[in-house]
Amino acid sequence: MSALRAELLKAVTTRLLLWFGLGLLAFLLLVLSIHIGSEDPGLLGELSRQRSTFAFGGIAAIVAVLVGAILVTAEYAHGTINQSFLAVPVRLRLLVAKLGGALLVVFVLAVLADAATLVISELWYSGRGLSLHLGRDTLSPFLGAVGASLLAAGIGVGIGALFRRQQTGAIVAILLWLLIGEGVISAAGDAARFAPGHALAAVVAAHSSGSADMLAVWPAAIVGLLYVAVFCGAGFLVVIGSDVPGSGD
Amino acid sequence: MIEVEHLTKRFRRATAVDDLSFSVPRGRITGFLGPNGAGKTTTLRVLLGLALPTSGRASVAGKRYRELEAPLKTVGAVLEASNYHPARTGRNHLRVLAAAAGIANAHVDQVLAAVELSDAARRRVGGYSLGMRQRLSVAAALLGEPELLVLDEPANGLDPEGIRWLRNFLRSFADGGGTVFVSSHVLAEVSQLADEVVIIHRGKLVAHQPVVELIAQAAGATRVRSPRAAALLERLRAAGIDAEADGERLAVHAPPERVGDLAAEAGIPLHELVADTGSLEEAFLELTAEPQA
Repeated sequence: MSALRAELLKAVTTRLLLWFGLGLLAFLLLVLSIHIGSEDPGLLGELSRQRSTFAFGGIAAIVAVLVGAILVTAEYAHGTINQSFLAVPVRLRLLVAKLGGALLVVFVLAVLADAATLVISELWYSGRGLSLHLGRDTLSPFLGAVGASLLAAGIGVGIGALFRRQQTGAIVAILLWLLIGEGVISAAGDAARFAPGHALAAVVAAHSSGSADMLAVWPAAIVGLLYVAVFCGAGFLVVIGSDVPGSGD
Repeated sequence: MIEVEHLTKRFRRATAVDDLSFSVPRGRITGFLGPNGAGKTTTLRVLLGLALPTSGRASVAGKRYRELEAPLKTVGAVLEASNYHPARTGRNHLRVLAAAAGIANAHVDQVLAAVELSDAARRRVGGYSLGMRQRLSVAAALLGEPELLVLDEPANGLDPEGIRWLRNFLRSFADGGGTVFVSSHVLAEVSQLADEVVIIHRGKLVAHQPVVELIAQAAGATRVRSPRAAALLERLRAAGIDAEADGERLAVHAPPERVGDLAAEAGIPLHELVADTGSLEEAFLELTAEPQA
């Protein structure tokens, strides 16, 4: 627990989360305004449209994977990993604490993203003379966004451990995969549903049954968990089996 | 307190530490010396669990670092002074470490006061001078009130005032019963501070002995000046003593007492009789000298 507490302190004693949080809110404001502001009012009233509007909270998962990676790579970039391992020399314990810290931080960010999505949507809907239908069918994407963000944070921590000494490289690799890799893999047909981005999008969408393009929520969550296990397993093994970088002779 | 046993560390083809063995006794200040690239930092990093040994073992109080139940309460380490998140305040940096080690927050303010950083505690580390960062490193090392301090080149970048502060601090820590193991290339500092030294070269141990013994070994010749230098040289050589003459001056490889007695017996006047004292630097350079090609 002390290692987890330290990881949370690390996260909140710099401005990293503040900037990510503000960026996430600004991005949500932009995309929701474009989406709701430009949509036909008749269509906006449909439950399926409201579900897809609420799914915008899933953008938090993109931030989550970056936060997860940076919580690891920043320690190597600034060299503070040396003192972290001096305080918690059992490396697996520190890495598990980092994973736990990332999950807690990202949980808060995802809940904030959901709240912001709801508030921004409500303001736009009421401004256009429409009302939101809040029920089990429309609210499940909010839970999906939280779940996908947690899975993304786990994947991010694993990627951060693998790319531990290349913070910029880790961020660029994540963004390239999300912007280009997932698009390219879509050409693989049904198999694309198992790509990490597609699986997390399916968790956000939270459909009870799957389709040719998208897995159902629970299979998607299991696929996401497998990605977390693979990335964290590989990343943690590399960190445990290698020297902590330092200078000197 | 520290045991290094047949430690070897290789980086691909390069051997940084080569079958190194030594021990550091409790309650003493031990200097860890060697030229750049000798393997000092690598040895310390293996000792602290930050680097994995290729073979051999390094332990503190009989345990490898990662096996210590409360590592920060056993060992305080000062590594590179630049290892801080620049956006975090000095106090927050210590709070993070204290939280990780299960140390009360109240102790953070105590160690900040001990290193005279209380006034800057709430400033971001990015704005600290090198000396302030070094003091913060010392504060971090003191957080757990350890009985052993391990310091890697702590005087690097410090101004004379900072060096004096560090020297006084380490001396008072040792006077309080603490053990200090400090690597440095500032030999004058080590000779003033350390009780004994471990000297390594190319990853191998070349000396481990008390500083006074090492300096005594490096003691030079006795310098003599006499108006009858040639007669004195003849007398010294007859007594089986090596000496070289340069006009009125002689360099004699014998203690000044012996030289003075022989000159007196022969009735040779002396105008100067000085023992050349050795230094840690001379001993160090002698021990780590590269063979001439």
